[in-house]
Amino acid sequence: MTVTRTITRAGALRIAFAMIVALSLSIVQTNVSSAQDASVLSGIVVGVETDENGNLTRFAVSDSSGEVTTFELSADTQYGLENQAGDRWVSNQGDEPSEAARRLRDHRERFAPITVSFENGTALSVVEREEGKLEANLGYLFAVFAITWALFFAYVLYVGSKQRVLQHEIAKLQDKLG
Amino acid sequence: MTKVLNLLDPLLILSAALMGLTLYLIFVWVPTELNQGAVQRILYFHVPVAWGSMLGIFVVSGSSFMYLWKKNEKWDRLAVASAEVGVVFGGLMLLTGMIWARPVWAVWWTGEAKLTTALILFFIYVAYLMFRAYFPPGAQRMRLAAIIGLIGAIDTPIIYFAANLWADAHPPIIAGPAADAESTLGSDLGMVLLASTLTFTFIFIYLVQTRYKIRKSEDDLIELKRASTAAVMTGAN
Repeated sequence: MTVTRTITRAGALRIAFAMIVALSLSIVQTNVSSAQDASVLSGIVVGVETDENGNLTRFAVSDSSGEVTTFELSADTQYGLENQAGDRWVSNQGDEPSEAARRLRDHRERFAPITVSFENGTALSVVEREEGKLEANLGYLFAVFAITWALFFAYVLYVGSKQRVLQHEIAKLQDKLG
Repeated sequence: MTKVLNLLDPLLILSAALMGLTLYLIFVWVPTELNQGAVQRILYFHVPVAWGSMLGIFVVSGSSFMYLWKKNEKWDRLAVASAEVGVVFGGLMLLTGMIWARPVWAVWWTGEAKLTTALILFFIYVAYLMFRAYFPPGAQRMRLAAIIGLIGAIDTPIIYFAANLWADAHPPIIAGPAADAESTLGSDLGMVLLASTLTFTFIFIYLVQTRYKIRKSEDDLIELKRASTAAVMTGAN
């Protein structure tokens, strides 16, 4: 009876595991294809166009080869741009189009590089060029993952050593008791 | 005594497979967040370990309540196993939070509500385990530990609601019944966070299960020692 129950439980776990893996893979496959639709371009702002109210309408970026690309905007275009002091401004085109123009002009004057993700010529996001901060941030990211795994392994080792000591003591006492 | 660290344990295999998938999602698949850049990926470890630490105190309090009600030692074993795993998750929650705070807030630590209540949770775990370590074994220890476990659970809802009750530097709640609709993560980021939380939940269950078996062996050892002492006394008489 016990054996039957154990086999059934193990079988159920295997089925559950297979289902989770299959579901996860299907989600990953679907989302990877949609995530790869957008393209990314990094460079210097060389042109900022505004309407009569000072709202940003288009901007142009020159990449490392000197090729200039002009980007259209939508209300959903997101911004994550820093000023010279390093304060980050986060908003979108729908909410603050004039501030977006001011920030991009500031970047143009400072030759501060930006990264634009875009789809069909329309910018989806405009952020500080990631390479600028990537190295500093990766150290923290590495520290988090290294510490997490080190602590988990240390705990598993502690549990393992505790088990060995217990096994030894139980065996010794059982021998003593006959 | 059965081997508790079994590498072919289905739960361990499942946790490892899910962790592999989660690491792929975190480092390869999910897009880089707009505001914080690469360092935001810490979220996918920080939030699940925080969830694990809260799950731990929830299990401790639930088991403590069951022990006080049923007086069955298996609930006490579950409480202590969960507390020990909970202190690991709680420590990780504090460490990962501090490392994340440094590049984002420019400080390692700040005395704001969410962080302070999380630190209190860690101390509750430590106090619970210290009490168990220093108090003589027996029914009284189990009863008092159960009461400490129940009292400690009061901190859990305070941690959860802290970011909403005292608007401070910590981001508002992003999941659960009190989540702020405006601060909810995008679908890609949210899905990775969910996958990571599921993975860490399995790891938590595996570790608690392993620790529970060891606790059972510790109790068996105490019984054997008692039997051994009784045999020696009988022989002496």
